[in-house]
Amino acid sequence: MSANEPKLKSKSASIRAYSILVYVVVIFFSILAIIPFWFMFMNATWDTISIQRGIKLWPNPNAFKQLAINWNNLKERSTFSFAVGFKNSFIISISSTALTVYFSALTAYGLTVYNFKGRKTIFALIVGVMMVPTAVNITGFYRMMSSMGLLGSKWPLILPAIAAPSTVFFIKQYLETSLSMEIVEASRIDGAGEFYTFNRICLPIMIPSLATQGIFSFLGSWNNFFAPSILLSKNEDKTLPLMVAQLYGDRYTDYGMIYMGLSASVLPIVVVYAFLQRYIISGVAAGGVKE
Amino acid sequence: MARANNNGKHKGMSYTRYGYIFIAPFVIAYCIFSLYPLLTTFWYSTANMQSTTAAFWGFKNYEVYYDRYLDLTQYYSDNFEQEVGIKKAEYVKIRNFFSALEKADQYDPLNEAGVNAIIQNGANALISQSTIDELQQALNNQDMGCLSDKGASELKAWRDQYSDISLIISSKVATVATTVTNIANPETSDDEEAEETEAVTAETIINADSYDEFVASLTSEELTTEQQALINYLASKTSYATLTEYFNAVKNGEAAVEDPLFFYICTNLNKPNAVKADGTAVEPISVPFIRTAEEYLAANVWADMITSLNSYEKLSGYADGSIGLHEDEETLYADLEALHNAGIINIVQLKINGSDVSVSTDQKSEVNALTIYRTFIDTAYEANEVELNSAVQIAKITTYCEDQGRTLLVALGIPVDKYISYNGKFDVDKYLQFKQEIGLKDFLTYDKYKELDQARKDANVAAAQKKLEEAEAALPAAQAAYDALGKEDLTSKEYNALRKLELQITKAETTIKQPAGILEKVDARYVYIFNGITNYAEIFANKTRFNTVAGAFWNTALMWIIGFIPQILLALLLSAWFTDTKLHLKGLSVMKALMYLPNVITAVTIAIFFRRLFSYSSGGTLTASQQILHALGMEQGYNFFASAWATRLIVCFINFWMWYGNTMIVLIAGITSISESLYESAQIDGANSFQTYTKITMPLLRPIILYTLVTSLIGGLQMYDIPQNINVNPALVNFNGTMIKSIRTILIYINNQAFGKQDVKQVGIAAATSVLLFVVTSVLSILIFYIMRDKDAAKARKALKKGGTR
Repeated sequence: MSANEPKLKSKSASIRAYSILVYVVVIFFSILAIIPFWFMFMNATWDTISIQRGIKLWPNPNAFKQLAINWNNLKERSTFSFAVGFKNSFIISISSTALTVYFSALTAYGLTVYNFKGRKTIFALIVGVMMVPTAVNITGFYRMMSSMGLLGSKWPLILPAIAAPSTVFFIKQYLETSLSMEIVEASRIDGAGEFYTFNRICLPIMIPSLATQGIFSFLGSWNNFFAPSILLSKNEDKTLPLMVAQLYGDRYTDYGMIYMGLSASVLPIVVVYAFLQRYIISGVAAGGVKE
Repeated sequence: MARANNNGKHKGMSYTRYGYIFIAPFVIAYCIFSLYPLLTTFWYSTANMQSTTAAFWGFKNYEVYYDRYLDLTQYYSDNFEQEVGIKKAEYVKIRNFFSALEKADQYDPLNEAGVNAIIQNGANALISQSTIDELQQALNNQDMGCLSDKGASELKAWRDQYSDISLIISSKVATVATTVTNIANPETSDDEEAEETEAVTAETIINADSYDEFVASLTSEELTTEQQALINYLASKTSYATLTEYFNAVKNGEAAVEDPLFFYICTNLNKPNAVKADGTAVEPISVPFIRTAEEYLAANVWADMITSLNSYEKLSGYADGSIGLHEDEETLYADLEALHNAGIINIVQLKINGSDVSVSTDQKSEVNALTIYRTFIDTAYEANEVELNSAVQIAKITTYCEDQGRTLLVALGIPVDKYISYNGKFDVDKYLQFKQEIGLKDFLTYDKYKELDQARKDANVAAAQKKLEEAEAALPAAQAAYDALGKEDLTSKEYNALRKLELQITKAETTIKQPAGILEKVDARYVYIFNGITNYAEIFANKTRFNTVAGAFWNTALMWIIGFIPQILLALLLSAWFTDTKLHLKGLSVMKALMYLPNVITAVTIAIFFRRLFSYSSGGTLTASQQILHALGMEQGYNFFASAWATRLIVCFINFWMWYGNTMIVLIAGITSISESLYESAQIDGANSFQTYTKITMPLLRPIILYTLVTSLIGGLQMYDIPQNINVNPALVNFNGTMIKSIRTILIYINNQAFGKQDVKQVGIAAATSVLLFVVTSVLSILIFYIMRDKDAAKARKALKKGGTR
């Protein structure tokens, strides 16, 4: 017993040293994760000449004045309109998220509750198509949209959201553990129609899963660049990522303004993330474990 | 009771059909928006869709499309009236319309800020109030037609009188800015994909032991006799009177870009000063020519030099007057001089025409914008912003009004301005009204264009037939003459003659198979021609094409792997720490949230940010990365985007940085889901943390790692946003003898082929590459599943067997 005590002591000392090392590394990576955004936000409060003189990691004493100047410079650019980009991105993301969430819930519900013929095959197919890279069909998709006269329209970016295989998969995983058939049966006995049961009784049960999937769907749509960059060509149709991509394109570069534009595109996401990070992270975790 | 039961059962049976209804929207949407495009992509990969079509690009009115992009005068220069069926003068009206439209875009005569500056500057001795009112009206109506002759001549008179040098300089700088931007951002040019047009035609050179060595040796002063002979042969083969002609031929695909001759010419041009000793420019070579030549050479010397100019980013500001020319004037002067000395901008050639701006005689004799600018600096002129803007706008308006196309139409009494939109948009309806007005609406129709195309094709086939017969007739004699030499001599005249005939035959045969019409360049028809596996054959058999596609796959794979390895290792380490109960880390959820943050931010934003961060400036002000490296002791920092590998590593780093948090969270979840009792029993058995980790955590984590690997692979192969936005002018590296861009991924390649800016869009190739991407992804996913799952399954089988024998 007495021989054990010094051993324990030295062990706890080594653990302390070890945990300091761990803290240093972990804090380093935490800072690394946010420093670019800090850099963007701070530089947005400076003017070009100051930025050229030295890296700015602290705010300008006249931050608000300079922010207003940079914002005005940004607004005057013909290729970057935050309001237009934000509006387009918002319309597309909100609509496609609503479609994804509702129709994925519908599909997952259909696959869980009803034991119809071919159910397993269809589910296997849905899991299979999750693996198909979404970008491979772009030539066909473009041709189809051009022949339907939908180039530049928001529909090609919204409607495909009805079919989101991975969202269906995750919602189905959730339903299998949290929806009991008794509820459905009870509802039927009370004389409710199938769609009433789904919309009024089962959909509320699914809300935690739908919220998580909705967040991911929204982020995916908000950050989407490949398809919009091919389908949208007019400035007034472009989404925020396309606008951001044009920030650098011009010949005359006002650094303060560029950082302002980048910050403006980052800020809404950071704010939303600050509120929803718990759900987002548990959603990511759930995605991995249930696979 | 029994009845009720029965009833319930029956009802239960009927419910199942709701399953179909509930999944129907998903299935229908998937079929329409994913499956159908996927199948059509497969279908296009077997189609001859080299020249794609207006229909593909969403043009509805083919006729307007042709009118706009097809210049018939180019194709029927000799007997226009006879062949097309209308007077050339009638047709030229259409061209004039588009030329006026182009000029309206270019000069922006109704630029709101500019016109307002004129109005603000007010009437003076030369410009009367009525003209100012007309301009106001023109601005309001968006119609230049209301500017009277008197007004136009007043503006012109004012411009001619206005001898302010700031006007001259800003117009010169405008030209410089355009040229410089074009050179610095070759992506904005139309020949982005020219590097992979044609393969080498001179087979003798491909067959030489090392083609690269040969091309490289061309830059050295001494050429071997054989090389000299080949160059002479190629020179005789090309038979282009000027280099510009030859260049255009290359651009049109009639000559091969990889011809050593081409490299030879380019190499000779890539000298510091393309101006002759007496100060005149090397005449037949235009700046665009040099620019493109420079691209082929991949030297990137000029682009680098230009982007590193101190005033590079301000040039357009100087040009449009938003930055006063007196600001930072010495830097601008030094830059202009440097550009001039490098032969990039021939300022001497940017001559000030007497008709353009009237300047004092001694300035004119210099005919040198640099000298004028020097004077400007020395006189320390402070430009009045409104005045300068007004001057620039007047110059724009007068230039537009004097435009050949427009004046000709106006002279004919056609109110051309009425039909033009000044907001940069092309209004099809207005144009059709114009066509009605000039009386060509019913004549120059889609059918007419098709007819012209067919006639041209027939003529080409007939000509090729004739040539083929001639060459075939001459072949035996040439063969006999070569055989008579009795030895293999690739430099001999006889061999050259023989090769020439052979090439002539191949060319004629190709022409007969696929005769060129006039619509190819702007083809607006949607014609699907099945060509089997030709696109795949093209990808695999054409050396240049194969290397480019393989290079794109290689880039993608490389960047994914280099980013993924540190990503998974760090995630494993961090997840082990975060779940280590002995450590009791505090603030865990905050750190997790911070580390996941980069993953939710728009990738484009991050790419643009890193591009800004790692940009490079060769003198004066240092960019962010340069400042950091400067502080660490590197005087000038490091030009990351000049190096292919540094650029790649930046992309890899961003991928790593954006995704390790995600992987970490997934792994943490995996570790916490492992039963606590396993760890407890391990502890009782005396296992240390390392043993626990390798013996318990790792094996149980395998499915999670597999999941991460597969999702990351699928995402990684579709890498697009970051490499596309990180740098518009990436360095070039050599891949198996073909120059490829260092961070061009598969999707960037597909996008360039199908939706790029080049004349001939390679939709078939793009679709075939998509199919390859599909196949590669599927094969790799299945392979990973197989490798990772196999062990478990094998163990399970073994265990089962053991259990069975017991």
